[in-house]
Amino acid sequence: MANIVAVIALAHAPGVTGWLDKAPQSQQDELIRGYAAMAKRLAAAKPDVIVGIANDHLLNFQMENIPDWCVGIADRWQGPARWFQDWLNVADYEVAGHRALARHIVRGVGEQGINLAYADRLLFDDNWSVPLKFLTPRYDVPLVPIHMNCVMPPLPPNERCYAFGQALTKVIQAWPGNERVAIMATGGLSHDPGGPKYFAVNEAFDRWFLGLLGEADHARVLREVTHERMIAAGDGGTSELLAWLVAMGAAGADTRADTLFYVPSVPLRCGMGGVAWRLSA
Amino acid sequence: MGILQTDKTLPVNRLIFDVRRDSALLQRFHADLGGVMADYGLSVAEQAALRAVDLKALAALGVHPYFLPQVARLFKGGGYNHNDSAAAQLYASKMLAPGD
Repeated sequence: MANIVAVIALAHAPGVTGWLDKAPQSQQDELIRGYAAMAKRLAAAKPDVIVGIANDHLLNFQMENIPDWCVGIADRWQGPARWFQDWLNVADYEVAGHRALARHIVRGVGEQGINLAYADRLLFDDNWSVPLKFLTPRYDVPLVPIHMNCVMPPLPPNERCYAFGQALTKVIQAWPGNERVAIMATGGLSHDPGGPKYFAVNEAFDRWFLGLLGEADHARVLREVTHERMIAAGDGGTSELLAWLVAMGAAGADTRADTLFYVPSVPLRCGMGGVAWRLSA
Repeated sequence: MGILQTDKTLPVNRLIFDVRRDSALLQRFHADLGGVMADYGLSVAEQAALRAVDLKALAALGVHPYFLPQVARLFKGGGYNHNDSAAAQLYASKMLAPGD
């Protein structure tokens, strides 16, 4: 059976690749150190494949037909999508997929009562391009990308996100291969693309959220980190943290997440942070 | 305004969705905005708001918030999109006018 060897979550906001030099030097240093710490944590787990969960940013999900989740089942992926190339300042890349495992996830999670869409073609923007550039800069770890609706209401309820994460782990562990699998959620923390707080970060919310993840009380996280609170902390972007709730479900009951970095960066227009769950807890 | 007020059936939402995915449509967007807007069935109000890059009006009509900075980038470019960039400043001038 496959093993879950790491569960992590981190911000993917484009400023860190697109205009990092506009942040104060201290923030630049903290961010580079932070992403390096995430990369080190991931590398130490020696993953054979990354199963990622991230907001779709309404780049693939057409408004007439938006699933909660869509699993990318292709053999290979390319990024960034053309429209985002200059914005992201990330060189073109290719990364392998894992079709067999992805199809297994679609079927298996469906058997757990959670319907997943799937796709051979998905355009990548900051959701994968930013974390992969820092975490696997040689693009040498295959990726199963799971795009998620985090921003077009009705959003999947917290409990549903958590249940999906639980199902994901159960189904991956039932995979007959012996792959070492890392779960990586990307998105958040507070930011407000398209809203009145576009040039602001809600540091208080972010620190409260990260603190809750460190308390290992998943029921409290699901109860208190409401959609309303996320939207109030930054409409349009903060609810990307729903992907983190999927990761929390995948990490296992009442596991504790350690914050590896947090930088509230107004120049990057995002609360930038990353966590790793303690899987042995 | 906000994600909860998005009208996902609004034609201009479909146009913005498509124009970011289709290079030929993006070229046509810049060369023949009126024709593209007509093809997508935008209302008079949607057409006026998009032509004027009136982001507040687009938001009030039900454009998804995530698309609004991207509309600014459609008209001012997306590279090096820091807070003082032309696109970010266009967004600020349209959405965060004094008195708000």
